[in-house]
Amino acid sequence: MVNVRGFRFTACASLCLALALPVPAMAQGDLSVGRKMLMEDNPGELWVDQGKALFHQKRGPKNASLEQCDFGMGPGKLEGAAARLPRYFADTDRVEDLETRLLTCMTRLQGFDRDQLIKQAISAPASKGSDIEALALYITSRSNGMKVNVSLSHQKEYDMYKAGEYLFFRRSGQTDFGCVQCHGEPDKRIRLQDLIHMTSKAGAQEVSSTWPAYRGSHFVVRTMQWRLNDCVWQMRLPDLKYATDYSIALTTYLNRQGNDAVIQVPGFKR
Amino acid sequence: MKKTNMLKWVALAAAGALAAGCASYPDEATTRQMAEKMVYDAFAYSPAHKGRLDQDRSQQICSKVGDAKLTQAEAAEIVKLARASIQYPASGKLYGDWKMGDRLAHDGAGDRIRNGKTENRKENGGLCQNCHALAPGEINVGNVGPSLTGYGKQRGNSEAVVKYTYEKIYNAWTYFPCSNMPRLGATKHLTPEQITHMVAYLLDPQSPINK
Ligand code: HEC
Ligand code: HEC
Repeated sequence: MVNVRGFRFTACASLCLALALPVPAMAQGDLSVGRKMLMEDNPGELWVDQGKALFHQKRGPKNASLEQCDFGMGPGKLEGAAARLPRYFADTDRVEDLETRLLTCMTRLQGFDRDQLIKQAISAPASKGSDIEALALYITSRSNGMKVNVSLSHQKEYDMYKAGEYLFFRRSGQTDFGCVQCHGEPDKRIRLQDLIHMTSKAGAQEVSSTWPAYRGSHFVVRTMQWRLNDCVWQMRLPDLKYATDYSIALTTYLNRQGNDAVIQVPGFKR
Repeated sequence: MKKTNMLKWVALAAAGALAAGCASYPDEATTRQMAEKMVYDAFAYSPAHKGRLDQDRSQQICSKVGDAKLTQAEAAEIVKLARASIQYPASGKLYGDWKMGDRLAHDGAGDRIRNGKTENRKENGGLCQNCHALAPGEINVGNVGPSLTGYGKQRGNSEAVVKYTYEKIYNAWTYFPCSNMPRLGATKHLTPEQITHMVAYLLDPQSPINK
């Protein structure tokens, strides 16, 4: 009983926190020199402009822009919106991450075909990138300098968070991998690829604040959904569908753990 | 009468709590149920690949959230299941060809799925290099597992060492319940014959790993 009360208390406390807006970071001192250098010369910047243009353009069968899309702060309000995703949306009655929310708006407001959007969502390496990649980057960039602030308050947000935590540790398949086998300890590598230690605050913060990112070896901007696809591929799992609760749950878990990191996108990845 | 009233009161209180936004974490069983459904909804799998999503008993035990530790009984069960899983090659020989083992140990491919198609290869790689340092001086090696450089030089290649090494690769959890090393033979990622080659690669004095 005491435990249950404890949870309740946490829940109510974080509800109050949820009411506070994401605050622009006071100091940028927590950005390492290397990260700063990468940011100054990041080809991903090109996608930000592309995303901005796409956001305002009238497009799709309904010839509408995305200016009426509500990412959680009200229609068209992008400042700090990505910093609070994933979150619960009443109009769909589900918790959505950035990419899921984009799908919702592009189908509902612009009339695009969902399956078609999904088919094109992840672009080929060295291509000009997909609309969703550019849009996801532009929208997140409007939270640059702000702190990640995933605040669990709706019951479905709690459920997502807990499911994400469970899935992070869930092992299956012929390699017996869960996420934690590769991301549960500091200073580990698979071959020469550094593995982020995501059960540490700093590691989760690195994740929550740097996606979408420019991927140097692919010459395109990549989103979290792409990253998860690649990890489950290495785990020998079947094809991960786009924008499912599995991804949203893991992203809710990781971003929540990574709260208070200062968003700076596009990130720059190997 | 009293009971109904009481229930009503509880229901009202709960509704009030919800209205106030005082949601809470679901309990373990509910979380499991929701998350397991998510797994099967998320992947486009053929019947042949469903097994990659299903957890066997050992995987269930080894999926503890956070820092939760195995109980003694659980650890004992893992070891028992691991022991029972081990199959030996038809030939009975646990010591194969180190040259083939060398190649396999450095091969990290095999059995990955993209767009519904399984990688088309003659056999799966051993994945060892992903996680272990192997021959001296190799740079492109992982460190998820301990270095295996000089493995045979330190241990010799007595029958007991051969048997341990074979069983360790076949099912790592026989000797370390729930470790991060996959049970490569038990999950059928590798065949018993392939494992004998890697045993030889680790133990043979001629193998680069012992140079
Ligand atoms: C077999 C090892 C392995 C497993 C298992 C694995 N990953 Fe990864 N993960 C990697 C590698 C390798 C990288 C890329 C490192 C690089 O690019 O240098 C990576 C990168 C990531 C990143 C990007 C980190 C960043 O910000 O740069 C995220 C997020 C991630 N993984 C999440 C997950 C999740 C969630 C799971 C489980 C569903 C998972 N991983 C399972 C190997 C793994
Ligand atoms: C995903 C990571 C991973 C892969 C792949 C992997 N290992 Fe391991 N290995 C580990 C870890 C972690 C340990 C330490 C924990 C344990 O003993 O299970 C280990 C331990 C070992 C040990 C025991 C070392 C000792 O001193 O007794 C041997 C032998 C070994 N691995 C061989 C192999 C071989 C051979 C392969 C490939 C066929 C392989 N491993 C693939 C992670 C891995």
